[in-house]
Amino acid sequence: MDFRIDSELQESLDQLAEFAREKLQDDVSRRDRVGEFPSDLWKLCADFGIQSLASTLAYGGNADTIKLMPSLMAMETLGKHCSDGGLLLALNAQMWTVQLPILDFGTEEQKQRFLPGMCRGEIIGSHALTEPEAGSDVYSMKMTAEKVEGGYRLNGTKRFITLGSICDFALVFASTNPAHGKWGITAFLVPSETQGFTRGEVQQKMGLRTVPFCELQLKDCFVPEELRLGKEGAGFAIGSHSLEYDRCCMLAGKLGAMERQLEQTIDYVKSRKQFGQKISSFQAVSHRIAEMKTRIEAARLLLYRTAWKKDQGEKAILDTAMVKLMISESYVQNSLDAIRSHGGNGYLEEYGVEKDLRDAVGSILYAGTSDIQKNIIAKMLGL
Amino acid sequence: MIKKLADYLVEEILQESDLVLEPDEDLLSTGLVDSMGIVRYIAWISEEFDIEIPTEDMIIDNFINLEAISRYITSRQA
Repeated sequence: MDFRIDSELQESLDQLAEFAREKLQDDVSRRDRVGEFPSDLWKLCADFGIQSLASTLAYGGNADTIKLMPSLMAMETLGKHCSDGGLLLALNAQMWTVQLPILDFGTEEQKQRFLPGMCRGEIIGSHALTEPEAGSDVYSMKMTAEKVEGGYRLNGTKRFITLGSICDFALVFASTNPAHGKWGITAFLVPSETQGFTRGEVQQKMGLRTVPFCELQLKDCFVPEELRLGKEGAGFAIGSHSLEYDRCCMLAGKLGAMERQLEQTIDYVKSRKQFGQKISSFQAVSHRIAEMKTRIEAARLLLYRTAWKKDQGEKAILDTAMVKLMISESYVQNSLDAIRSHGGNGYLEEYGVEKDLRDAVGSILYAGTSDIQKNIIAKMLGL
Repeated sequence: MIKKLADYLVEEILQESDLVLEPDEDLLSTGLVDSMGIVRYIAWISEEFDIEIPTEDMIIDNFINLEAISRYITSRQA
């Protein structure tokens, strides 16, 4: 394993950092306060080529193949230089749980119809898996897809759908054979203009407020055969496949955010004086920062090793579960430590570190809670 | 092949060495093998029989029972 970055990639990452600092940082606090999705920044990201990272040249992408390592380094860079955690969540959700499954399992017609538009920022896709009664036990879903002439008729409700309120289509998972449980789940591409497709109210959240979540209700939605993604019954495999990329890249952004948080905290404790000296001179403070740094470096090594395995074509289910667990829990802990190091100021919105904590809590819940990650790790160890 | 498949499944995945599996016994829709179990089992099959198993092939028709798995492996080796 060699994680050194060549000069070409480093140059791209430097340009991305500059783009994020100059274009994506504007007005984050206000947008977070009012829960506003930055449609203009979404388009700017597309123009810069971010969404294109999750596609290939023939379908609006940047390269012949998708490599996980440079993609997650891009996300890490974005996380460091853009504090809008909601925007990053939205980007990752579309790129790895919508674009990637279409690229890997879609027909030529499906790829041409959806991918170039998503890469250009003109079409927004959401991933609709979770249901009111199917959260951690997600494949016990109730949504059904009944086979009818020429296609399927979908009925049911999806919950916590990232970008659901503004999506142009949703990648919807529904049961085509309830008797087969998770093996009877099939994936469909459902345009939002389909009759019977309705959206619920945008749900207010603790953090990640700039990305909208809502319910989607499908009532007698007819989806033609040509919009089924993959084989009938392949929904479980398709969903699991994309989660490995999603977990790595989503969490790479958090790693970048932790790096930004660390730098900000170091600057603060070196300038803040109490008891006649800089608070960085107190071991209670400096040791806490040493622990923050150690968590970041351990998490980065785990993430990079996992990406390296994936790029070699190896399965990395155990590794991605450890990455998800390690980075999300470290982000929560580091966010708390950043606030402690800022003292009362850390509790104020203007210092920005309280927002990181609110965003961090989301990361231990979405894409499989920490408890679920531990279950996966234990199962993969044969327990 | 079916005996080899059954032995690994009962001993390593299910960890119930006394269990006797019939070749046509449903492993999946009954919940006998859970999702993590089948993922580990497929990883072992891939390595043991030196075949690549594409994600899109992870459907019930190919893994519902030992007979189906055996047929699938043979088709991938061809």
